[in-house]
Amino acid sequence: MALYNFKKIMVVPTAKDFIDLTLSKTQRKTPTVVHKHYQIHRIRHFYMRKVKFTQQNYHDRLSQILTDFPKLDDIHPFYADLMNVLYDKDHYKLALGQINIAKNLIDNVAKDYVRLMKYGDSLYRCKQLKRAALGRMCTILKRQKQSLEYLEQVRQHLSRLPTIDPNTRTLLLCGYPNVGKSSFINKVTRADVEVQPYAFTTKSLFVGHMDYKYLRWQVVDTPGILDHPLEERNTIEMQAITALAHLRAAVLYIMDLSEQCGHTLSQQLELFNNIRPLFANKPLIVMANKCDVRKISELSEENQKIISDLIAEEITVIETSSLTEEGVMLVKTEACDQLLAHRVDSKMKGKKVHDVLNRLHLAMPNKRDQKERPPFIPDGALVRKKAMETDAPKRKLERDLEVELGDDYTLDLQKYWDLMNPDERQDRVPEIWEGHNIADYIDPEIMKRLEDLEREEELREKAGEYDSEEETEDEEMQEIRQLANQIREKRKLKILESREKDTKGPRMPRTAKKVERGTLEKDMSDLGLDMTDKDDSHYARRSRSLVRKRKREVSAPPTSRTRSQSASRPPRDQSGVRDVKMFKKAKLMMKNSQKEMNRQGKKGEADRHVFDLKPKHLFSGKRKSGSTSRR
Amino acid sequence: MRIEKCYFCSAPVYPGHGMAFVRNDCKVFQFCRSKCHKSFKKKRNPRKTRWTKSFRKASGKELTVDNSLEFEKRRNIPVKYNRELWSKTVVAMKKVEAIKQKRQARFIMNRLKKCKELEKAADITEIKKNIHLIKAPHAGQAKQLEDKMVQKLAEDVEMDE
Repeated sequence: MALYNFKKIMVVPTAKDFIDLTLSKTQRKTPTVVHKHYQIHRIRHFYMRKVKFTQQNYHDRLSQILTDFPKLDDIHPFYADLMNVLYDKDHYKLALGQINIAKNLIDNVAKDYVRLMKYGDSLYRCKQLKRAALGRMCTILKRQKQSLEYLEQVRQHLSRLPTIDPNTRTLLLCGYPNVGKSSFINKVTRADVEVQPYAFTTKSLFVGHMDYKYLRWQVVDTPGILDHPLEERNTIEMQAITALAHLRAAVLYIMDLSEQCGHTLSQQLELFNNIRPLFANKPLIVMANKCDVRKISELSEENQKIISDLIAEEITVIETSSLTEEGVMLVKTEACDQLLAHRVDSKMKGKKVHDVLNRLHLAMPNKRDQKERPPFIPDGALVRKKAMETDAPKRKLERDLEVELGDDYTLDLQKYWDLMNPDERQDRVPEIWEGHNIADYIDPEIMKRLEDLEREEELREKAGEYDSEEETEDEEMQEIRQLANQIREKRKLKILESREKDTKGPRMPRTAKKVERGTLEKDMSDLGLDMTDKDDSHYARRSRSLVRKRKREVSAPPTSRTRSQSASRPPRDQSGVRDVKMFKKAKLMMKNSQKEMNRQGKKGEADRHVFDLKPKHLFSGKRKSGSTSRR
Repeated sequence: MRIEKCYFCSAPVYPGHGMAFVRNDCKVFQFCRSKCHKSFKKKRNPRKTRWTKSFRKASGKELTVDNSLEFEKRRNIPVKYNRELWSKTVVAMKKVEAIKQKRQARFIMNRLKKCKELEKAADITEIKKNIHLIKAPHAGQAKQLEDKMVQKLAEDVEMDE
């Protein structure tokens, strides 16, 4: 009823396969181990389970077959008739009936044996019962071999039938064999039906789909019909007749003007009249096909009369040629329009229409005033429409330009720029100047702002902001600066001198080093003191200086103490020394005795300090923590 | 083509130089050289790194608020190309640049002028403290004394006469 989905029917297995399938399933899916010493109820249960399982499987499978196959009473009469034509209604029904009977028999067998199993008292007995049950079920099925085969074939053929929706808009093509029905459907739809010069190339119905007025249309191609009474028709013709009888479609009766199909026009007319009753209540169009070979005007008088008779009966006759496509479109539109009109008519006559009509309301606005308000179509649309109708040359593409210029071609996207001044399009725009982006300065008001800035700058200049201030330093300040610089220099020098001192060596008292008279006088005069004429000064007089030779006088006691003390005492390194030679020797001895001490770095005779040059704690032990960057 | 500003030191990054880093929040950082890039990765604050322009501006060592600085600004609304506007802009740009340089120089000079007074004061204290390094305290005193004595003698002689 609903979907006509004959492809969903489960595969019907052959009898042998069916039996094998079920038995192996029983073996796999039920427990397999049983022993003599089990309790009897357990043994019985075991075998009963097997019997029931097998029965269940057969039952399920067969029921499925019965439900999958369509019931001829439940489906559309078109399909029912078609199936009758193809598969023979009686045979079909019989086969299904047999299957049903088989199913019932299997159920009964199982029931009986399960009942008997209750009285089985040993393993052997139960086993035999189970064997018998299974055996009988399988035999029943073996007897259905023929039905199952037939149903499998039916299933295969059924799944390959074309899906024709009997309720939708359909165009039906009919006529003698070889008149051009299949060529027509090939032209009009995307179907690809075999077209050959021999008759009965098309042996079954074919469907193609096409679009017209935003609707989907079915076009059904039929095998050719010969002119003999209904009872003598074979299966192939009967399919065509069935289609004609049941489908509510527009009928396109195709005639061959050139008589290449092997039948004269009068024979075709005969056929037409014979199947006329089937066209009742269907929009009819007669297609005079193969007009490229012979036109109506070229026909003989009799044949022309036939055609004109048809036209006189208010049947649309259109000349067509599937080869040159002449008139094909015309036929299509005519047929579709007629069918649509017919369908609308029949719907309007029906009862359901009123429900819909009652709910629809077409609102027509009342005229407010006399002003004309025609629909507005912009000019561009009209121009484009005209351009579409005429073959206007397309605008020049970039690709065409490229091909034209060949090697010289450069892609210049700047020419598409939308600027205020179109002839500036080819300008090379500056972007950078001295580390600044020009784009950062672009401002429509930049000139005004620049003027403001310049004005401000002028004001500032006038106010004297940019005058370089010459600092009139008075002489005093200059002197001060000079002096300060001198001081700083002197200090630096002193610091450097002080750094050059030897602080690690022995520290000699200041008086140990003799101060040269020249340096003293120079330093002091640098400091601003007057050092001229200083021969008599205390540092320039040679007091207690060395005398070359001293007469040894009897050391008479001095006349007065004070006098003796005021007389200069000889320095210690000169007292008791006779002459220079002795003096020198004495000095040499002194130095010699001191050499050893000096070499050992001793402070004096009394210095007995022992230096620890290699302390043990630093020169023993393993390398532990600490860096080992030296070895 | 654009000359970007280095995020760290604010130097101009020419095309083909430096590196850009895009963070997960879609913020783009341009760097002029690896020095800036590495400092950024070390999470250094450019406002505290003394040699960067942002430090100098933040610590008032350079001119920050000025009209001439308002001309160079990143604009988000593009203006259609117009030959005269562009040529005018180039001319204006050069003038603005000259004024900007002048003002920046003036700002820095003003800042450095304060040093002069400090220098003067430092000189004076220096002299007061350490004049003994150059001039002995009693430098001209002997002469002065002599002069005075001579003067006194002369006076005595005069008085005697």
